[in-house]
Amino acid sequence: MIKESQPRYLVEKSDINIGFMPLADCAPLAVALEQGYFKEQGLNVTLKKQYSWATMRDKLHAGVLDAAQLLAPMPLASSLGINGEKHQVIAPMVLSQNGNAITLSMALYEEVKAFNKLTTLDIPLSAGLLKPIIKARKSVGQKLTFATVYPHSCHYYQLCSWFEHNNIAIDDVEILIITPVNMVEALRSEDIDGFCVGGPWNAKAVRDGVGVTCVTSCDIWPNIPEKVLGMLADWQKSYPETTKALIYALRKACNWLSNVANRFEAARLLSQHQYLDLHLSVIAPSLIGSCLVHHQQSPRHVPSYNQFSSEGAECINRPDHFKGEWLLSHMCKVGQVSSDKLSKNIVAEVFRQDIYQQTFAPKFLVSDIDETTTDIAEQA
Amino acid sequence: MDIAATQELNVLLVEDDKQKAQSLIGALDRSQYCIRHITTTGMPLLKQVEALQPDVIVIDVESPSRDVLESLSIISLANPKPIVMFSEQNDTETISQSVKSGVSAYIAGDIAFERVRSILDTAVARFSEYQLLKKELVHTKQKLSSQRVVEQAKIWLMETKNLTEKEAYHRIRKMAMDNSQKLEEVARSILSLAKMLEKSS
Repeated sequence: MIKESQPRYLVEKSDINIGFMPLADCAPLAVALEQGYFKEQGLNVTLKKQYSWATMRDKLHAGVLDAAQLLAPMPLASSLGINGEKHQVIAPMVLSQNGNAITLSMALYEEVKAFNKLTTLDIPLSAGLLKPIIKARKSVGQKLTFATVYPHSCHYYQLCSWFEHNNIAIDDVEILIITPVNMVEALRSEDIDGFCVGGPWNAKAVRDGVGVTCVTSCDIWPNIPEKVLGMLADWQKSYPETTKALIYALRKACNWLSNVANRFEAARLLSQHQYLDLHLSVIAPSLIGSCLVHHQQSPRHVPSYNQFSSEGAECINRPDHFKGEWLLSHMCKVGQVSSDKLSKNIVAEVFRQDIYQQTFAPKFLVSDIDETTTDIAEQA
Repeated sequence: MDIAATQELNVLLVEDDKQKAQSLIGALDRSQYCIRHITTTGMPLLKQVEALQPDVIVIDVESPSRDVLESLSIISLANPKPIVMFSEQNDTETISQSVKSGVSAYIAGDIAFERVRSILDTAVARFSEYQLLKKELVHTKQKLSSQRVVEQAKIWLMETKNLTEKEAYHRIRKMAMDNSQKLEEVARSILSLAKMLEKSS
């Protein structure tokens, strides 16, 4: 009974530019394009590779990009006006969750063992084991230095949480922002003692023998949106059916990615020049649920390391308000916004689970859709 | 900060492509600008910014280092800097129109270079205003942190001196009044005393 997929929506605009970052979790966008899911919905999508989140944000604000793969806290930051000019940006779909990890330099890893008189370290590592080192550095007026990729990112909040869970004050360490491509080099040159980034940069550091991936975002706070589909609220108002078509195609890509074998294929795809332009051996691990830990040790099995879809009742692609609240609470916690100045509806205005739900509303369930689409509707 | 037109502006140009860098340097009047050109990224870039302390940083809009530089004004302890971006793409004019305030400014690749000085000056001026707002925010945060310190001191007194919360607070307040100190100062002294006791025990 599987029929040719057909467009489900009367799209108002077919030529669409979507910005993406060359990271492992841009997979849903690449897959939707390469598998023809956008085309099925009557969309002529061009994926535009970006090199900084700040420029991606400005292009989205200016309408140079129709939509973008954004760090989950970014639409909140834009709508609050704490990230460049204030613009109402919405997130009608979650593209992925998890995928980040904290990698320590070889030198710090050895120091942790020595200071705590341990021959091996339990992974996931407790930040508590860093305490004696932080204290020793403090006595000589120094701090451990960690790098992450962007201030309004889960990476930054997760790094802070890892310290806070173990009663380490954020002020006792130095946190810098550097570009993902420069992370491994910074670790190698010991300019930094550790970093929190997404794939493929943790795997790269381990493969190169310059770092040890001690803890993943799944260990710190699992199952929180990592990347979302972002667009201006006004754009969605002008093109409501196009928005649904985008969500539908991307959800189909996410479903395709639920299969490990397919995720390996995605890794192969992403290694190409127009995407990550890196070797498969560093892109594949996180995508297939393998966390490389140390270049001389076995990898860890972390099944939801890069997660794009879920089975069962809880749908990770729906931008649930309580997950938005979680992100917002961390923005407040690190002092990026003060909680007393927030409007009550901010999360509901940004995390548009209503648009997501409308996309898969039963009234669209006509008999001529294929089995995959039926599955999607049921799960949504 | 009002920069007189005659004052020399320290410009840090971050650009990998030598040709692009040269054309931009060529367009800027050497008598008005002291231009340093660097090609580094990542940590070395941060160190250069720290060492050179430019008035303004000029960077290609497509450079990955943009996040690094922009973040200096958000989380880093280093001195934040105004950033001006240039681009050869036509869409930059569109972006430029939308980015009217904030810490960044855009210039398109084929701009009339007489405008560059005014763009750079405007960026520096806007940035100073923005910094002022940030300082006010820091002040508010300090207020909050002083509340936290008092809270911690109270807890320590409750735990070690077996006081109720009310008694602990009254003790801190009395000490503050007796010594004509702020509550926060007294709380800090209590906490540092607590630390010393912890070490010696």
